Amino acid sequence: MSSPLACPARPQALEVLRRAGAVALADLAVTYTWRTWLFGRVPRKLSQVAFFALIGRVVGGEDAERFLVVGNALMACAVETTLVVASSAWERALGTMPLLVSAPAPLAWAFAVRSAQWIISGTGASLVALLLLGPLFGADWQLEMIPVMVLLVVLTAVGTYCFGLALGAWVIDHPAQRNVVSLLANLLMMTICGVQVALDHWPAPVQTLAALLPITHELVALRELLDGAPLSAILPDAAAGALVGAAWLAIAVVAFGRVGERGRRDGTIEFGA
Amino acid sequence: MNAIQTRALRRVFTAGRDKRGKSGSRTALDGVDLSIPPGEVHGLLGPNGAGKTTLCKILSTVLVPTSGSASVMGHDVVTGLAAVRPLVGCVFGGDRGLYGRLSGRKNLAYWAALYGVPRRLIDGRTTTLLDRFGLAGRADERVETYSRGMKQRLHLARGLVHNPPVLLLDEPTTGMDPVSAMDFRRLIGELRNEGRTVLVTTHDMAEAEAVCDRVTLVNDGRILHSASPQELSALVSRYGRVEARNVPDTLTQRVRILPGVTRVATDTDGVTRIELASADAAPPVLRLLIERGVTDLATCRPGLEEVYLHLIADRGMEVGR
Ligand SMILES: Nc1ncnc2c1ncn2[C@@H]1O[C@H](COP(=O)(O)OP(=O)(O)OP(=O)(O)O)[C@@H](O)[C@H]1O
Ligand SMILES: [Mg+2]
Repeated sequence: MSSPLACPARPQALEVLRRAGAVALADLAVTYTWRTWLFGRVPRKLSQVAFFALIGRVVGGEDAERFLVVGNALMACAVETTLVVASSAWERALGTMPLLVSAPAPLAWAFAVRSAQWIISGTGASLVALLLLGPLFGADWQLEMIPVMVLLVVLTAVGTYCFGLALGAWVIDHPAQRNVVSLLANLLMMTICGVQVALDHWPAPVQTLAALLPITHELVALRELLDGAPLSAILPDAAAGALVGAAWLAIAVVAFGRVGERGRRDGTIEFGA
Repeated sequence: MNAIQTRALRRVFTAGRDKRGKSGSRTALDGVDLSIPPGEVHGLLGPNGAGKTTLCKILSTVLVPTSGSASVMGHDVVTGLAAVRPLVGCVFGGDRGLYGRLSGRKNLAYWAALYGVPRRLIDGRTTTLLDRFGLAGRADERVETYSRGMKQRLHLARGLVHNPPVLLLDEPTTGMDPVSAMDFRRLIGELRNEGRTVLVTTHDMAEAEAVCDRVTLVNDGRILHSASPQELSALVSRYGRVEARNVPDTLTQRVRILPGVTRVATDTDGVTRIELASADAAPPVLRLLIERGVTDLATCRPGLEEVYLHLIADRGMEVGR
């Protein structure tokens, strides 16, 4: 029997992503106003970046400070996008999980952009740090480098977001671990991805592990850009980072599918009280 | 074909935590056979822990059964997931499950997208629903500024955003004021007129009597009884009760042997409860008490739990026969 009431249409990914983006933007508006972002969050990030750059100046001289200012400025956006780990778990707290699971759209669609606010604030933080602090610590950007720099920062933000999203899919079933997981993720990126220490200081297995994280490749590309390398040298690294990011996105999609399945079996998809 | 059909439906929760903090496995549904024809408003009535929410979860595909089967409009909730989901709208009591930082309108639009409402229909659909639920004036304000009742109305609107033929309403009126509860009854009538099948769970017998075509009483994961609201109210008056204070022991003995009296018990604060098996058992009891000078007394309509106790007792007798 076909009921005239039935609505058989299939959910459209773009439409869902667009509307979920509204959730992200609304969260962004609550987290930061222009004022609190510019005069609160950004100065804190800048002081962290400057702190490492200053250590570089004291300990290693010109090269070291330049290395550290670029690495830490880009890391600033990864720290921000890793917040997706925690904000994915907000959905549980809101009590929307059973409603999302019972809707026809895949769970991953709802989560893919619902924390995208961190991509925006992270990109902003890194750009401010690179452009404002860079020149103070020996990173002299040429005007024509800036479009590529923006591209690399955006790719880093999106790539690390996808990495965080995959972690978020795990954390949503282990909400107590959310702070530990984001802390470890940040530590890992800061340590092995060429942020504080050059990649080739690490043994080969660690370098391989680093290659699985998007920021590693984007950071290589950014350093190449600063050294005046041609686009033909920069873009392959940028693309490698994007590819790794896409792989993490795929993992996240599968992982969110599992979250739904496991929850349906275990009975852990609660309406909450 | 039934709109909702379950056969020998069982759900066991294994190990660890449950709502009461006890561990071990717990059977939330224990062989439930339920058939609800299209267009029926069906009430699911039962005390805390009876399994009402568990049944709603299974029908809304949020939970898989341990054994047995359940289907919506002929589609199995486990194997026909993709077919079932667009057919069902679910509304769960309380005010959680909304995006507080979004406006009511954006909340609805988001759920419309998640249910695949075509883009060109979304704006019109959300506006109509906001009107229908009296939220038009606040439609563009953030939901966290809404009152609890407004949030519940928004939930009802959300449940209808994809125009589903089947609605699951799990205690949709908890926390509503009496006026909103009346509106809710009218809404159920409208949903019936639109041809939708509604499964509504409640603790409230009066509400069930008022809005349902048929009521199923569940207890401890099992169906006790399916009845029309008329049969239900007959049950209720049958299981009336008299409460009195300061009844001397000797009088208690005499009351106990009156016809239709099933149980007499006096609790520590001196209230004697006299339970009756039929409506016409009350007058002789009252007469006797008054004759003996007991004036502090009242007749009571039984609560849901009492009706259950009676039904369970009755069923036990039937089985024994
Ligand atoms: N996720 C779960 N894990 C373990 N036990 C559960 C779970 N959900 C429900 N139960 C148990 O299953 C039984 C039925 O619960 P259910 O929530 O279906 O009852 P209910 O009829 O909706 O009660 P209420 O009127 O309190 O809402 C209860 O004993 C409950 O403790
Ligand atoms: Mg319940």
